[in-house]
Amino acid sequence: MICAEFEVILSDYVDGNVSVEMRRAIEQHADQCAACRELLRDVFHAVAFIERAEEVTPPPELITRIVYHAPQGRVRNEFESSGFLSRSFAKWLQPVLQPRFAMSMAMTILSFAMLGRCAGIQVKELKPADLNPVVLWNNLEGKGYRLWDRTVKYYENFRLVYEIETRLKEFRDEQDAARGSRNQTGNETKAMPQEDRERGTRK
Amino acid sequence: MAAAAVAQISLSLNLPGQTQGMWAGSAGTARSLDADSQLVERCLGGDQGAWEQLVKIHGRRVYAICLRFTGKENEAQDLTQDVFLRVFKTLSSFRSGEGSFGVWLTRLTRNLLIDHYRRTKLERATDSIEEQLPVLEERTALHGRADGMLAGREASELLQAALQRLSPELREAVILRDLEELEYREIARVLGVPEGTVKSRLNRGRAELARVLRRYKVLV
Repeated sequence: MICAEFEVILSDYVDGNVSVEMRRAIEQHADQCAACRELLRDVFHAVAFIERAEEVTPPPELITRIVYHAPQGRVRNEFESSGFLSRSFAKWLQPVLQPRFAMSMAMTILSFAMLGRCAGIQVKELKPADLNPVVLWNNLEGKGYRLWDRTVKYYENFRLVYEIETRLKEFRDEQDAARGSRNQTGNETKAMPQEDRERGTRK
Repeated sequence: MAAAAVAQISLSLNLPGQTQGMWAGSAGTARSLDADSQLVERCLGGDQGAWEQLVKIHGRRVYAICLRFTGKENEAQDLTQDVFLRVFKTLSSFRSGEGSFGVWLTRLTRNLLIDHYRRTKLERATDSIEEQLPVLEERTALHGRADGMLAGREASELLQAALQRLSPELREAVILRDLEELEYREIARVLGVPEGTVKSRLNRGRAELARVLRRYKVLV
Protein backbone atom coordinates (compact mmCIF):
# COMPACT_ATOMS: atom_id res chain seq x y z
CA MET A 1 0.00 0.00 0.00
CA ILE A 2 1.24 3.48 -0.87
CA CYS A 3 0.48 6.71 1.02
CA ALA A 4 -2.08 7.94 -1.57
CA GLU A 5 -4.08 4.70 -1.25
CA PHE A 6 -3.81 4.94 2.52
CA GLU A 7 -5.26 8.46 2.44
CA VAL A 8 -8.26 7.42 0.34
CA ILE A 9 -9.07 4.28 2.37
CA LEU A 10 -8.52 6.05 5.70
CA SER A 11 -12.07 7.49 5.78
CA ASP A 12 -13.57 4.02 5.41
CA TYR A 13 -11.19 2.74 8.08
CA VAL A 14 -12.41 5.44 10.47
CA ASP A 15 -16.00 4.50 9.63
CA GLY A 16 -15.20 0.83 10.22
CA ASN A 17 -16.20 -0.07 6.67
CA VAL A 18 -13.08 -2.08 5.70
CA SER A 19 -12.40 -5.77 5.50
CA VAL A 20 -10.09 -7.50 7.96
CA GLU A 21 -7.35 -7.73 5.31
CA MET A 22 -7.60 -4.07 4.46
CA ARG A 23 -7.57 -3.15 8.12
CA ARG A 24 -4.39 -5.16 8.56
CA ALA A 25 -2.81 -3.53 5.48
CA ILE A 26 -3.63 -0.05 6.80
CA GLU A 27 -2.16 -0.78 10.19
CA GLN A 28 0.90 -2.30 8.58
CA HIS A 29 1.40 0.81 6.44
CA ALA A 30 0.94 3.10 9.44
CA ASP A 31 3.54 1.03 11.23
CA GLN A 32 6.07 1.70 8.49
CA CYS A 33 5.21 5.31 7.53
CA ALA A 34 5.58 8.00 10.19
CA ALA A 35 3.64 10.63 8.21
CA CYS A 36 0.64 8.33 7.69
CA ARG A 37 0.78 7.26 11.32
CA GLU A 38 0.53 10.91 12.36
CA LEU A 39 -2.31 11.48 9.90
CA LEU A 40 -4.19 8.50 11.35
CA ARG A 41 -3.72 9.76 14.89
CA ASP A 42 -4.83 13.30 13.99
CA VAL A 43 -7.90 12.05 12.13
CA PHE A 44 -9.01 9.94 15.10
CA HIS A 45 -8.43 12.77 17.53
CA ALA A 46 -10.40 15.23 15.39
CA VAL A 47 -13.34 12.85 14.95
CA ALA A 48 -13.39 12.14 18.69
CA PHE A 49 -13.38 15.84 19.49
CA ILE A 50 -16.17 16.62 17.00
CA GLU A 51 -18.30 13.91 18.62
CA ARG A 52 -17.98 15.62 21.99
CA ALA A 53 -19.17 18.97 20.64
CA GLU A 54 -22.73 20.02 21.40
CA GLU A 55 -25.20 19.95 18.53
CA VAL A 56 -26.24 23.28 17.11
CA THR A 57 -29.88 24.35 17.39
CA PRO A 58 -31.28 27.39 15.62
CA PRO A 59 -33.13 30.02 17.68
CA PRO A 60 -36.89 29.29 17.54
CA GLU A 61 -37.69 32.84 16.39
CA LEU A 62 -35.50 32.31 13.32
CA ILE A 63 -37.61 29.36 12.19
CA THR A 64 -40.82 31.30 12.88
CA ARG A 65 -39.51 34.28 10.90
CA ILE A 66 -38.62 32.09 7.95
CA VAL A 67 -41.93 30.22 8.02
CA TYR A 68 -44.06 33.36 7.97
CA HIS A 69 -41.98 35.85 6.05
CA ALA A 70 -40.25 33.85 3.30
CA PRO A 71 -43.51 33.41 1.32
CA GLN A 72 -43.79 37.20 1.27
CA GLY A 73 -40.17 37.54 0.19
CA ARG A 74 -39.07 39.59 3.21
CA VAL A 75 -36.95 37.83 5.75
CA ARG A 76 -33.94 40.07 6.01
CA ASN A 77 -33.26 41.99 9.20
CA GLU A 78 -34.83 45.35 10.00
CA PHE A 79 -32.02 47.58 8.78
CA GLU A 80 -31.82 46.06 5.34
CA SER A 81 -35.55 45.88 4.85
CA SER A 82 -36.15 49.51 5.86
CA GLY A 83 -36.67 51.77 2.89
CA PHE A 84 -34.64 52.70 -0.11
CA LEU A 85 -32.84 55.60 1.62
CA SER A 86 -31.50 53.47 4.48
CA ARG A 87 -30.47 50.79 2.03
CA SER A 88 -28.54 53.14 -0.20
CA PHE A 89 -27.08 54.88 2.88
CA ALA A 90 -25.96 51.52 4.26
CA LYS A 91 -24.53 50.59 0.87
CA TRP A 92 -22.38 53.71 0.80
CA LEU A 93 -21.36 53.49 4.43
CA GLN A 94 -20.57 49.78 4.41
CA PRO A 95 -17.05 50.08 2.93
CA VAL A 96 -16.17 52.74 5.52
CA LEU A 97 -17.72 51.13 8.59
CA GLN A 98 -14.98 48.59 9.11
CA PRO A 99 -12.75 48.01 12.11
CA ARG A 100 -9.61 48.83 10.14
CA PHE A 101 -10.88 52.37 9.51
CA ALA A 102 -11.59 52.96 13.20
CA MET A 103 -8.24 54.65 13.83
CA SER A 104 -8.52 56.82 10.69
CA MET A 105 -12.00 57.85 11.72
CA ALA A 106 -10.85 58.69 15.23
CA MET A 107 -8.01 60.80 13.81
CA THR A 108 -10.42 62.60 11.46
CA ILE A 109 -12.76 63.42 14.32
CA LEU A 110 -9.82 64.61 16.41
CA SER A 111 -8.53 66.79 13.56
CA PHE A 112 -11.96 68.35 13.08
CA ALA A 113 -12.26 68.91 16.81
CA MET A 114 -8.89 70.70 16.85
CA LEU A 115 -9.83 72.75 13.80
CA GLY A 116 -13.11 73.65 15.45
CA ARG A 117 -11.26 74.73 18.58
CA CYS A 118 -8.91 76.89 16.54
CA ALA A 119 -11.87 78.39 14.70
CA GLY A 120 -13.38 79.32 18.05
CA ILE A 121 -16.30 76.91 18.07
CA GLN A 122 -17.16 76.24 21.70
CA VAL A 123 -18.00 72.68 22.56
CA LYS A 124 -20.06 72.82 25.70
CA GLU A 125 -21.42 69.86 27.58
CA LEU A 126 -24.71 68.60 26.22
CA LYS A 127 -27.73 68.87 28.51
CA PRO A 128 -31.06 67.06 28.03
CA ALA A 129 -32.68 70.44 27.36
CA ASP A 130 -30.35 70.94 24.40
CA LEU A 131 -31.78 67.88 22.73
CA ASN A 132 -35.23 69.47 22.43
CA PRO A 133 -35.96 69.55 18.69
CA VAL A 134 -37.30 73.13 18.89
CA VAL A 135 -34.17 74.37 20.65
CA LEU A 136 -32.00 72.44 18.23
CA TRP A 137 -33.85 73.88 15.24
CA ASN A 138 -33.72 77.44 16.62
CA ASN A 139 -30.01 77.12 17.31
CA LEU A 140 -29.42 75.71 13.88
CA GLU A 141 -31.54 78.42 12.25
CA GLY A 142 -29.74 81.18 14.17
CA LYS A 143 -26.38 79.70 13.31
CA GLY A 144 -27.45 79.37 9.69
CA TYR A 145 -28.47 83.04 9.46
CA ARG A 146 -25.34 84.22 11.21
CA LEU A 147 -23.18 82.10 8.93
CA TRP A 148 -24.99 83.44 5.86
CA ASP A 149 -24.61 87.06 7.02
CA ARG A 150 -20.95 86.52 7.79
CA THR A 151 -20.40 84.94 4.39
CA VAL A 152 -22.15 87.80 2.62
CA LYS A 153 -20.13 90.39 4.57
CA TYR A 154 -16.90 88.53 3.93
CA TYR A 155 -17.71 88.37 0.23
CA GLU A 156 -18.58 92.03 0.03
CA ASN A 157 -15.47 93.09 1.97
CA PHE A 158 -13.20 91.00 -0.15
CA ARG A 159 -10.61 93.29 -1.84
CA LEU A 160 -10.93 91.87 -5.35
CA VAL A 161 -14.72 91.91 -5.17
CA TYR A 162 -14.58 95.45 -3.82
CA GLU A 163 -12.31 96.57 -6.67
CA ILE A 164 -14.43 94.88 -9.30
CA GLU A 165 -17.57 96.33 -7.80
CA THR A 166 -15.94 99.80 -7.71
CA ARG A 167 -14.87 99.48 -11.34
CA LEU A 168 -18.32 98.33 -12.30
CA LYS A 169 -19.84 101.23 -10.42
CA GLU A 170 -17.46 103.65 -12.13
CA PHE A 171 -18.23 102.12 -15.48
CA ARG A 172 -21.94 102.33 -14.77
CA ASP A 173 -21.59 105.94 -13.65
CA GLU A 174 -19.60 106.75 -16.78
CA GLN A 175 -22.28 105.13 -18.89
CA ASP A 176 -24.98 107.04 -17.05
CA ALA A 177 -23.00 110.24 -17.45
CA ALA A 178 -22.51 109.55 -21.17
CA ARG A 179 -26.15 108.74 -21.59
CA GLY A 180 -27.04 111.88 -19.62
CA SER A 181 -24.86 114.10 -21.80
CA ARG A 182 -26.25 112.46 -24.97
CA ASN A 183 -29.73 113.14 -23.76
CA GLN A 184 -28.79 116.68 -23.02
CA THR A 185 -27.39 117.27 -26.54
CA GLY A 186 -30.43 115.51 -27.99
CA ASN A 187 -32.65 117.81 -26.06
CA GLU A 188 -30.68 120.76 -27.31
CA THR A 189 -31.07 119.66 -30.95
CA LYS A 190 -34.68 118.93 -30.36
CA ALA A 191 -35.10 122.31 -28.70
CA MET A 192 -33.63 124.19 -31.70
CA PRO A 193 -36.54 123.95 -34.14
CA GLN A 194 -38.84 124.86 -31.32
CA GLU A 195 -36.81 128.02 -30.73
CA ASP A 196 -36.82 128.69 -34.51
CA ARG A 197 -40.50 128.12 -34.54
CA GLU A 198 -40.87 130.51 -31.66
CA ARG A 199 -38.67 133.01 -33.51
CA GLY A 200 -40.79 132.54 -36.67
CA THR A 201 -43.98 133.18 -34.84
CA ARG A 202 -42.41 136.20 -33.24
CA LYS A 203 -41.40 137.35 -36.71
CA MET B 1 5.15 -1.29 18.10
CA ALA B 2 3.69 1.56 16.04
CA ALA B 3 0.95 -0.75 14.81
CA ALA B 4 0.15 -1.54 18.39
CA ALA B 5 0.01 2.16 19.15
CA VAL B 6 -2.38 2.75 16.27
CA ALA B 7 -4.53 -0.14 17.39
CA GLN B 8 -4.47 1.31 20.87
CA ILE B 9 -5.63 4.69 19.59
CA SER B 10 -8.48 3.17 17.61
CA LEU B 11 -9.40 0.86 20.47
CA SER B 12 -9.16 3.50 23.16
CA LEU B 13 -11.33 5.84 21.14
CA ASN B 14 -13.57 2.96 20.10
CA LEU B 15 -14.20 4.83 16.89
CA PRO B 16 -14.97 2.30 14.18
CA GLY B 17 -17.86 0.83 16.12
CA GLN B 18 -19.12 4.22 17.22
CA THR B 19 -18.95 5.83 13.87
CA GLN B 20 -20.76 2.97 12.22
CA GLY B 21 -23.65 3.61 14.55
CA MET B 22 -23.32 7.32 14.04
CA TRP B 23 -23.68 7.16 10.26
CA ALA B 24 -26.64 4.81 10.52
CA GLY B 25 -28.77 7.95 10.81
CA SER B 26 -28.21 8.59 7.11
CA ALA B 27 -30.32 5.56 6.27
CA GLY B 28 -33.29 7.65 7.29
CA THR B 29 -32.62 9.85 4.27
CA ALA B 30 -34.13 7.30 1.91
CA ARG B 31 -37.24 7.02 4.04
CA SER B 32 -37.70 10.76 4.25
CA LEU B 33 -37.11 11.16 0.51
CA ASP B 34 -40.73 10.55 -0.42
CA ALA B 35 -42.01 12.58 2.51
CA ASP B 36 -39.88 15.54 1.40
CA SER B 37 -41.04 15.23 -2.20
CA GLN B 38 -44.65 15.22 -1.06
CA LEU B 39 -44.05 18.26 1.10
CA VAL B 40 -42.46 20.06 -1.85
CA GLU B 41 -45.46 19.17 -4.03
CA ARG B 42 -47.82 20.52 -1.40
CA CYS B 43 -45.72 23.67 -1.03
CA LEU B 44 -45.91 24.26 -4.77
CA GLY B 45 -49.67 23.88 -4.43
CA GLY B 46 -49.67 26.79 -1.97
CA ASP B 47 -49.97 24.80 1.27
CA GLN B 48 -48.58 26.99 4.10
CA GLY B 49 -48.57 24.05 6.53
CA ALA B 50 -46.31 22.03 4.22
CA TRP B 51 -43.88 24.95 3.98
CA GLU B 52 -43.81 25.23 7.77
CA GLN B 53 -43.04 21.52 8.08
CA LEU B 54 -40.32 21.72 5.46
CA VAL B 55 -38.63 24.63 7.25
CA LYS B 56 -38.90 22.93 10.64
CA ILE B 57 -37.44 19.66 9.32
CA HIS B 58 -34.52 21.18 7.42
CA GLY B 59 -33.98 24.49 9.24
CA ARG B 60 -31.69 22.99 11.86
CA ARG B 61 -29.33 21.47 9.30
CA VAL B 62 -29.13 24.62 7.18
CA TYR B 63 -28.50 26.78 10.25
CA ALA B 64 -25.92 24.34 11.62
CA ILE B 65 -24.00 24.26 8.32
CA CYS B 66 -24.08 28.06 8.09
CA LEU B 67 -22.96 28.50 11.71
CA ARG B 68 -20.16 25.97 11.47
CA PHE B 69 -18.97 27.47 8.19
CA THR B 70 -19.10 31.15 9.14
CA GLY B 71 -18.50 30.82 12.89
CA LYS B 72 -20.84 33.75 13.59
CA GLU B 73 -24.41 33.45 14.83
CA ASN B 74 -25.80 36.60 13.21
CA GLU B 75 -24.25 35.74 9.84
CA ALA B 76 -25.57 32.19 10.13
CA GLN B 77 -29.08 33.48 10.84
CA ASP B 78 -29.00 35.87 7.87
CA LEU B 79 -27.66 33.16 5.59
CA THR B 80 -30.26 30.64 6.76
CA GLN B 81 -32.95 33.17 5.89
CA ASP B 82 -31.36 33.76 2.50
CA VAL B 83 -31.23 30.03 1.85
CA PHE B 84 -34.93 29.54 2.59
CA LEU B 85 -35.88 32.63 0.62
CA ARG B 86 -34.07 31.14 -2.35
CA VAL B 87 -35.63 27.74 -1.66
CA PHE B 88 -39.07 29.31 -1.73
CA LYS B 89 -38.34 31.09 -5.00
CA THR B 90 -36.72 28.14 -6.76
CA LEU B 91 -38.71 25.28 -5.28
CA SER B 92 -40.25 24.54 -8.67
CA SER B 93 -36.75 23.77 -10.05
CA PHE B 94 -36.38 20.83 -7.64
CA ARG B 95 -36.96 17.49 -9.37
CA SER B 96 -37.45 14.56 -7.02
CA GLY B 97 -36.03 12.18 -9.64
CA GLU B 98 -32.66 13.96 -9.64
CA GLY B 99 -31.89 13.29 -5.95
CA SER B 100 -33.16 13.93 -2.46
CA PHE B 101 -34.47 17.28 -1.33
CA GLY B 102 -31.85 17.24 1.44
CA VAL B 103 -28.99 17.09 -1.07
CA TRP B 104 -30.60 19.78 -3.25
CA LEU B 105 -31.03 22.03 -0.20
CA THR B 106 -27.49 21.35 1.05
CA ARG B 107 -26.06 22.15 -2.38
CA LEU B 108 -28.00 25.41 -2.43
CA THR B 109 -26.76 26.24 1.09
CA ARG B 110 -23.19 25.41 0.18
CA ASN B 111 -23.30 27.59 -2.95
CA LEU B 112 -24.65 30.52 -0.95
CA LEU B 113 -21.96 30.01 1.68
CA ILE B 114 -19.21 29.98 -0.93
CA ASP B 115 -20.64 33.17 -2.48
CA HIS B 116 -20.73 34.74 0.96
CA TYR B 117 -17.18 33.56 1.67
CA ARG B 118 -15.89 35.23 -1.50
CA ARG B 119 -17.88 38.40 -0.88
CA THR B 120 -16.61 38.84 2.68
CA LYS B 121 -13.01 37.87 2.05
CA LEU B 122 -11.78 41.43 2.55
CA GLU B 123 -13.60 41.89 5.86
CA ARG B 124 -12.23 38.66 7.21
CA ALA B 125 -8.68 39.73 6.43
CA THR B 126 -8.95 42.24 9.28
CA ASP B 127 -11.36 40.36 11.53
CA SER B 128 -9.00 37.42 11.88
CA ILE B 129 -9.53 34.43 14.09
CA GLU B 130 -6.02 35.09 15.40
CA GLU B 131 -7.64 37.67 17.65
CA GLN B 132 -9.72 34.94 19.25
CA LEU B 133 -6.81 32.59 19.77
CA PRO B 134 -5.46 34.12 23.00
CA VAL B 135 -9.01 34.25 24.41
CA LEU B 136 -9.59 30.60 23.61
CA GLU B 137 -6.25 29.58 25.03
CA GLU B 138 -6.99 31.54 28.17
CA ARG B 139 -10.38 29.91 28.45
CA THR B 140 -9.02 26.39 28.13
CA ALA B 141 -6.26 27.22 30.61
CA LEU B 142 -8.82 28.63 33.07
CA HIS B 143 -10.98 25.58 32.88
CA GLY B 144 -7.94 23.37 33.18
CA ARG B 145 -9.36 20.98 30.59
CA ALA B 146 -6.49 20.88 28.15
CA ASP B 147 -6.41 17.15 28.65
CA GLY B 148 -8.74 16.43 25.75
CA MET B 149 -11.84 16.05 27.89
CA LEU B 150 -13.50 19.31 26.86
CA ALA B 151 -17.11 18.63 25.92
CA GLY B 152 -20.56 20.09 25.23
CA ARG B 153 -20.91 23.79 24.61
CA GLU B 154 -17.25 24.62 25.23
CA ALA B 155 -16.14 21.97 22.78
CA SER B 156 -18.68 23.28 20.28
CA GLU B 157 -17.35 26.84 20.55
CA LEU B 158 -13.77 25.72 20.20
CA LEU B 159 -14.65 23.53 17.26
CA GLN B 160 -16.36 26.45 15.60
CA ALA B 161 -13.30 28.66 16.05
CA ALA B 162 -10.95 25.90 14.91
CA LEU B 163 -13.04 25.23 11.78
CA GLN B 164 -12.50 28.83 10.70
CA ARG B 165 -8.79 28.09 10.40
CA LEU B 166 -9.44 25.53 7.68
CA SER B 167 -9.64 26.35 3.99
CA PRO B 168 -13.27 26.41 2.73
CA GLU B 169 -12.78 23.15 0.78
CA LEU B 170 -11.59 21.21 3.82
CA ARG B 171 -14.05 22.95 6.13
CA GLU B 172 -17.13 22.07 4.09
CA ALA B 173 -16.03 18.43 3.80
CA VAL B 174 -15.62 18.11 7.58
CA ILE B 175 -18.90 19.90 8.29
CA LEU B 176 -20.93 17.82 5.86
CA ARG B 177 -19.47 14.48 6.92
CA ASP B 178 -18.58 14.73 10.59
CA LEU B 179 -21.19 17.21 11.75
CA GLU B 180 -24.09 16.74 9.36
CA GLU B 181 -23.44 13.05 8.74
CA LEU B 182 -24.04 13.00 5.01
CA GLU B 183 -23.03 9.98 2.91
CA TYR B 184 -19.90 10.30 0.76
CA ARG B 185 -21.92 10.12 -2.44
CA GLU B 186 -24.26 12.83 -1.14
CA ILE B 187 -21.31 15.08 -0.29
CA ALA B 188 -19.84 14.37 -3.73
CA ARG B 189 -23.12 15.54 -5.31
CA VAL B 190 -23.30 18.62 -3.11
CA LEU B 191 -19.73 19.66 -3.85
CA GLY B 192 -19.69 18.44 -7.45
CA VAL B 193 -16.46 16.43 -6.99
CA PRO B 194 -15.69 12.68 -7.07
CA GLU B 195 -16.04 10.62 -3.89
CA GLY B 196 -12.27 10.05 -3.78
CA THR B 197 -11.72 13.80 -3.60
CA VAL B 198 -14.29 14.07 -0.82
CA LYS B 199 -12.48 11.41 1.22
CA SER B 200 -9.10 12.97 0.61
CA ARG B 201 -10.36 16.45 1.61
CA LEU B 202 -12.06 14.98 4.65
CA ASN B 203 -8.87 13.38 5.93
CA ARG B 204 -6.82 16.47 5.31
CA GLY B 205 -9.52 18.57 6.98
CA ARG B 206 -9.65 16.34 10.05
CA ALA B 207 -5.86 16.28 10.35
CA GLU B 208 -5.69 20.06 9.99
CA LEU B 209 -8.43 20.44 12.58
CA ALA B 210 -6.49 18.26 15.03
CA ARG B 211 -3.40 20.40 14.49
CA VAL B 212 -5.39 23.60 15.15
CA LEU B 213 -6.96 22.08 18.27
CA ARG B 214 -3.50 21.14 19.46
CA ARG B 215 -2.46 24.75 19.02
CA TYR B 216 -5.44 25.71 21.19
CA LYS B 217 -4.00 23.23 23.71
CA VAL B 218 -7.22 21.24 23.58
CA LEU B 219 -5.63 18.13 22.15
CA VAL B 220 -2.39 16.64 23.36
